[in-house]
Amino acid sequence: MSAPFFELGYFGDGTGLLVALVIGVAFGWCLESAGLGSARKLAAQFYLTDLTVFKVMFSAVITAMLGVFWLGRLGVLDLSRVYVPETYLLPQLIGGLVFGAGFAIGGLCPGTSCVAAVTGRLDGVALVLGMWSGVLATGLGFPALQGFYESTPRGALTLPQALHLPYGVVVSLVVLAALGGFRAAEWLEARPRAALAANHSESRATSRSLAGGVQA
Amino acid sequence: MSTGRDNRMLRPLAVAALVLGILAPFGGSPYRARHGAIDVAALAHTVAREEDHVTALELAQWIKDRRPGLRVLDVRSAEEYAAFHIPQAEHMPLDSLTAIAFRADETLVLYSEGGTHAAQAWVFLRALGNRNVYFLRGGLYEWLEQVMNPTLADTSAGGRAAFAHAAVLSRYFGGVPRSDLHIRPSDDDAIRLPKRGDSTQSAVPLPKHPVADRLLQVRRRGC
Amino acid sequence: MRTPGRAYANPYLAGFALGVVLLAAFVTMGRGLGASGAFASSAAGVVSAVAPARAAANPYFARYLGGSGPWLDWLLIEIAGVAIGGFLSALVAGRLRVEIERGPRYTARSRLTTAFTGGAVMGLGAVLARGCTSGQALTGGALLGVGSWLFILGAFAAGYAVAPLVRREWV
Repeated sequence: MSAPFFELGYFGDGTGLLVALVIGVAFGWCLESAGLGSARKLAAQFYLTDLTVFKVMFSAVITAMLGVFWLGRLGVLDLSRVYVPETYLLPQLIGGLVFGAGFAIGGLCPGTSCVAAVTGRLDGVALVLGMWSGVLATGLGFPALQGFYESTPRGALTLPQALHLPYGVVVSLVVLAALGGFRAAEWLEARPRAALAANHSESRATSRSLAGGVQA
Repeated sequence: MSTGRDNRMLRPLAVAALVLGILAPFGGSPYRARHGAIDVAALAHTVAREEDHVTALELAQWIKDRRPGLRVLDVRSAEEYAAFHIPQAEHMPLDSLTAIAFRADETLVLYSEGGTHAAQAWVFLRALGNRNVYFLRGGLYEWLEQVMNPTLADTSAGGRAAFAHAAVLSRYFGGVPRSDLHIRPSDDDAIRLPKRGDSTQSAVPLPKHPVADRLLQVRRRGC
Repeated sequence: MRTPGRAYANPYLAGFALGVVLLAAFVTMGRGLGASGAFASSAAGVVSAVAPARAAANPYFARYLGGSGPWLDWLLIEIAGVAIGGFLSALVAGRLRVEIERGPRYTARSRLTTAFTGGAVMGLGAVLARGCTSGQALTGGALLGVGSWLFILGAFAAGYAVAPLVRREWV
C-alpha cells in the first residue's frame, strides 16, 4: 500500500499546500483549455446546444473512478484512507437543486467562475462576488439552517453499499452510462440549429457577427 | 482544427475506458486494508521485548509533554467513557477502531478497564499495519494506581525518587499522591489466606490496599 | 471577423486530463478537488477578522478557524492555483480578453446582475450540499458517494428546469 502519500505520512502539511497549488494550476488549466471559463459555453449545456460541460465532467469522473478502482484493486492505493464526502440525503439533493438553478442563472460554477474572472470576464467577477456573498450570508444565517443541514446523515455511504452491488459492477454501469451519454451528446450537438456556442472558432465568429456584437 | 489528431488520441482512451469498465465487475474489491496480515513471529517478538505496552506513568508523561501525533484511545463503552476517561483520550470502541485509518506518524495508546480488550485491539491494529501502537497493560486501574493515587511503597532512595517523579505527574492530572501511607500488615479487617501446607490456618494477612476502594468505584463491566 | 484565440481543446481529452488531476489528488493527498470550500474558508476568515467572537460562535465558520487557520486552507491555496492555471492557459491560447459574456439581446448591466444573483444562489446550494461541481460532482462522483450523485442529479435537473426561464439571458 503506497498511497495516499499524505495519509501515510510521507510528507507534511507544508508540502501538502504546495501540492494543492500544483493541482490547482493543473485543474484551472484543464478547465480553461476546454472553454469552461466561458459562461455562454457553460449555459449552452442547458439548451442542449453545447454539451461540453457534460463531456468534460463525466470524462473526468470515469477516468478518476477507474483509476481509483484499479489502483485500489492492485493494492497501490488504500481506498479506505481516501476521504469520501459524507452523505446527507436531503440537504445534498435540495442543495443540488438550488445550485443547479443558480448555475443556469449565473452560467458559471464556483471553480469556472474563478477561471472566467481571472481571464477578464467581468461577469465572472460578478459571479465570484455573488457566490462569496451567498456563502457569507448562508454562513451567518447558519443556525437557522442547522437542523436541515444535519438531517438525514448516512456517513460515507457509497453507491455500491447503498445498492448492495459489488463496487466493480457499479463502476461498470457508470462507465457504460457515461459512454452512452457521450454518444447521445454527439447526436444532440449534431442537430442543425443556429450555432450558439459551438466548439469551432469560425462558427463562433459567425454567430457573433449574426448577433451584432455582444462584447462589452 | 485538430479533430483528426484528437480522434487518434481519443480512440485508445475510449477503448481503455470500455475495457477497464467491463473488467471491473470481475476485478474483486478495490478495498484491501481491512484484511490484516499477522506476522505471528514478529508480534510475539515485540511482546517478549515488552515493546507492545507502556506504563501509565509513561503515558502521563507523553500527554503532559504534548507528544506530537499522540492519540489515546478508550475502547470501552460510551457510558464508561462518559463517566471517566484519561485526559485527551478519544472514545473508540473496538468496532470502529478497525474501520478508522490511522496515519503512520501517529502514536496510538489503547486502554480499557483492565487491559484485556486493549491488548486485543493492539493485535488488530498491528495486523492492519500500524506500527506505533501500544496499550496500558493494567488498563484504567493502572492509571488510577500509578498516576491518580501513587503511593510510596519502596522507601529506598530509588523508590523515593521514582515516587517524587510520579507525584509531579499526579498533581498535573489532579491526582493525590500519598506519601504518608505506608503499606504494613494489620490484624484488623485484613484478608486472611491460608498458608500453603499449613493446616492450622495461621494465615498471613494481606494488607488492606488504600487505593482498592477507589478502584472498585470504577464499575466492573468487562475488560 | 475571426474571433481571437485558439480553438478550445477537445472536451473528452480535457476531461481525461482533469480526471488524471483528480486521481493525482486522491493518490497524493487522499482527498479530491473543491472550490466552494475556498469561498467558505475565506468568508470565515473575513468574519473572524471583523468579529472574532461572532465567527468562533458560528458553527459553520468555526470549523474553518481551527488548524492552521482559514487562510492556509488546502482548498483556498488550490483555488489560487486554479486562477493561475486558468490565466496561463488563456494567455498561451490568446484567449485573455475583457468582456461581459451574454446573449445578444441582453444588456451588460442585466448580465452582471444575474451573474451576481446566480452566484449567490449557488452559494446557498453549495453550503447545503457541502460542495459544488468540483467537490461533490467530480470528487464525490468519482468516489461513488450517494449524496454526491444526488447532488449531480439535482443540479442538472434544476439547471434544465430553470434554463427556459432565463433564455433571454443567453440566446
